[in-house]
Amino acid sequence: MSARLNIVLGAALVICALTLINSQYQARRLFIELERAQTLSKQYEVEWTQLKLDQSTFGKHARIETVANQELGMVHVTPDRTQYLTAEVVK
Amino acid sequence: MSRGNSNSRTAAGKGVSFSSNPVLAVKLPVWRSRLLLFFLFAAFFALMTRALYLQGMTTEFLQKQGENRYARTLELSATRGKITDRHGQVLASSVPVKAIWAIPEDVLNAPDAKLRELAGLLEMSEAELRKKLDSDRQFVYLKRQVEQAAADKIVALGIPGIETRKEYKRFYPEGEVMAHVVGFTNVEDKGQEGIELASEKNLAGKTGSRRVIKDRLGRIVEDIESIRPPHDGKDIKLSIDSKIQYIAYTHVKEAVEKFKAKAGAAVVLDVQTGEVLALVNLPTYNPNDRSVLTGAQLRNRVITDTFEPGSTMKPFTIALALETGRVTPETIIQTAPGAMTIGTQTIHDAHKQGTLTVAGVIQKSSNIGTAKIALQMPPQEMWEMFATLGFGQQPNIGFPGAVAGRMRNFKTWKPIEQATMSYGHGLSVSLLQIARSYMIFARKGDLIPLTFQQSTEMPMGTRVISEATAMKMRDMLESVTQPGGTATQARVPGYRVGGKTGTAHKVEAGRYVNKYVSDFVGFAPMSNPRIIVAVMLDEPSGGAYYAGTVAGPVFAAIIANVLRSMNVVPDSSVMNIIPEPSVPEAL
Repeated sequence: MSARLNIVLGAALVICALTLINSQYQARRLFIELERAQTLSKQYEVEWTQLKLDQSTFGKHARIETVANQELGMVHVTPDRTQYLTAEVVK
Repeated sequence: MSRGNSNSRTAAGKGVSFSSNPVLAVKLPVWRSRLLLFFLFAAFFALMTRALYLQGMTTEFLQKQGENRYARTLELSATRGKITDRHGQVLASSVPVKAIWAIPEDVLNAPDAKLRELAGLLEMSEAELRKKLDSDRQFVYLKRQVEQAAADKIVALGIPGIETRKEYKRFYPEGEVMAHVVGFTNVEDKGQEGIELASEKNLAGKTGSRRVIKDRLGRIVEDIESIRPPHDGKDIKLSIDSKIQYIAYTHVKEAVEKFKAKAGAAVVLDVQTGEVLALVNLPTYNPNDRSVLTGAQLRNRVITDTFEPGSTMKPFTIALALETGRVTPETIIQTAPGAMTIGTQTIHDAHKQGTLTVAGVIQKSSNIGTAKIALQMPPQEMWEMFATLGFGQQPNIGFPGAVAGRMRNFKTWKPIEQATMSYGHGLSVSLLQIARSYMIFARKGDLIPLTFQQSTEMPMGTRVISEATAMKMRDMLESVTQPGGTATQARVPGYRVGGKTGTAHKVEAGRYVNKYVSDFVGFAPMSNPRIIVAVMLDEPSGGAYYAGTVAGPVFAAIIANVLRSMNVVPDSSVMNIIPEPSVPEAL
């Protein structure tokens, strides 16, 4: 009787031990995955900052004006060459 | 004695039985065995005390030491907040970079070729590098704020003793155009000037930390304690419009070069919200490269410098006289013969005007006319008016180094001083103060606080003069830019504008010298004012120095382009302006 109980308990113990090993392994694996994902998100954030900065650098008014003037041959508008439309006129 | 027989194992080989062993025959003293026993027990006791000591008394220390072998505290860096303009355009942003540091002893053991390569990547000569490494210290910064790509190459060299540390570098895409508004940070990412300094608390991030277990290969295996998360700095949205700022900057720059001025400044305010839309200073600097910086470049002439405003003060004297009913715009003032003696001193008009109406006093900018009107009023009333407008008062705008200007207490005013103050001499103001004070004309009589951060709600104004007075003043200020005024060149095609010129001698070592400050403050469109523009040029030395010809055209150019960019409907049918000479104003 007691011998059989011992075998059952022993088997249960082994199973528990194996599950513990497995779950610990899973936990570490998921943790590493999480870690990697977080690093990636931080990296994207940095990249986004850099891109925003580039957007500002390439979109700054000094650059737009030079390009418009020199490369595209554009000139400033003046009121005497502008047609002003007010809401009533459009209707 | 059974062991005594010949079959006995012991000593049998030598043919001597144990009992007959001669050693036994030697009589040893008893104390020797006792001594041995004592030593044995003493040793056991020592071991036990040691065990007790380790387990009981120094547990904490030992556990800590053990933990140190596998647990690490990692610093979680926080990014400094961004500064953007009112449309979200980035004006300042931090990007992670690397600081390269070295343990000199280890690095100097590296082969010469590698050191040469390292010097090349650090953009310094080999001799310079060796000089940095020639140190007794364990820690030497080789170069800070190295960009990621270059830092990676340096690490790839694999020189022992070279380490990197994460830090941040601040970038300012708008460069010198925004330099005085945004300011800059130092190498530690701490604000030093401008908004970077004023909003340091909000912008600065708070670093966090986490404690982890690392394995043999340095990989993180587990978190031990709860993470203390880093808090990134808050982003700040300024009231500045980068387009308006650029427009103002280019026009002031043009004028500074054209009139050979020592410096120039301009500020653009939103009449409805009190927001500062642009703030320009010249000379300026590039905040991305501050290796050569002079004090003149750093000076913020709009906020932290004061000057004698000259005739731009006259409208306030006249407004007070109108408000108190002492004069009407049609009241006749005799300004002939162009000079007036008060006490021991004489004041002059640049050009003799004869009789003028009060409106004419403003249009022609007559010193004598203004002084005569001012002397009808008690000093206290004038002082109260000026103080309400913010002159001599510490401005509350949240900008570092904002100055109050100088205005003496009315109790010490002599008549001559009251007369000169009425036309802007003998007191000093900052350009921002004088620009703000024009709110009372642009806003139908009330004054609102200024702000550098974008605001959504309309501010509450404090009434200074009545609406009727403000409207009368508007007409006078508009006449300044019309034929017969001192600033015909300030007219703008398509829009009705109004403003006042100011030309003042500079004070050097307590005496007036023949150097000038030319300023112009005005607003537009007159039918429903949207912006106030104040322009100041310091020491124009190209021959012209009257504000009407120097500062007026800058004002007009800024107004024209800014109103167009703000899509403001024109309120004047005059679309093309034929230039007309301005009337020279009084100094």
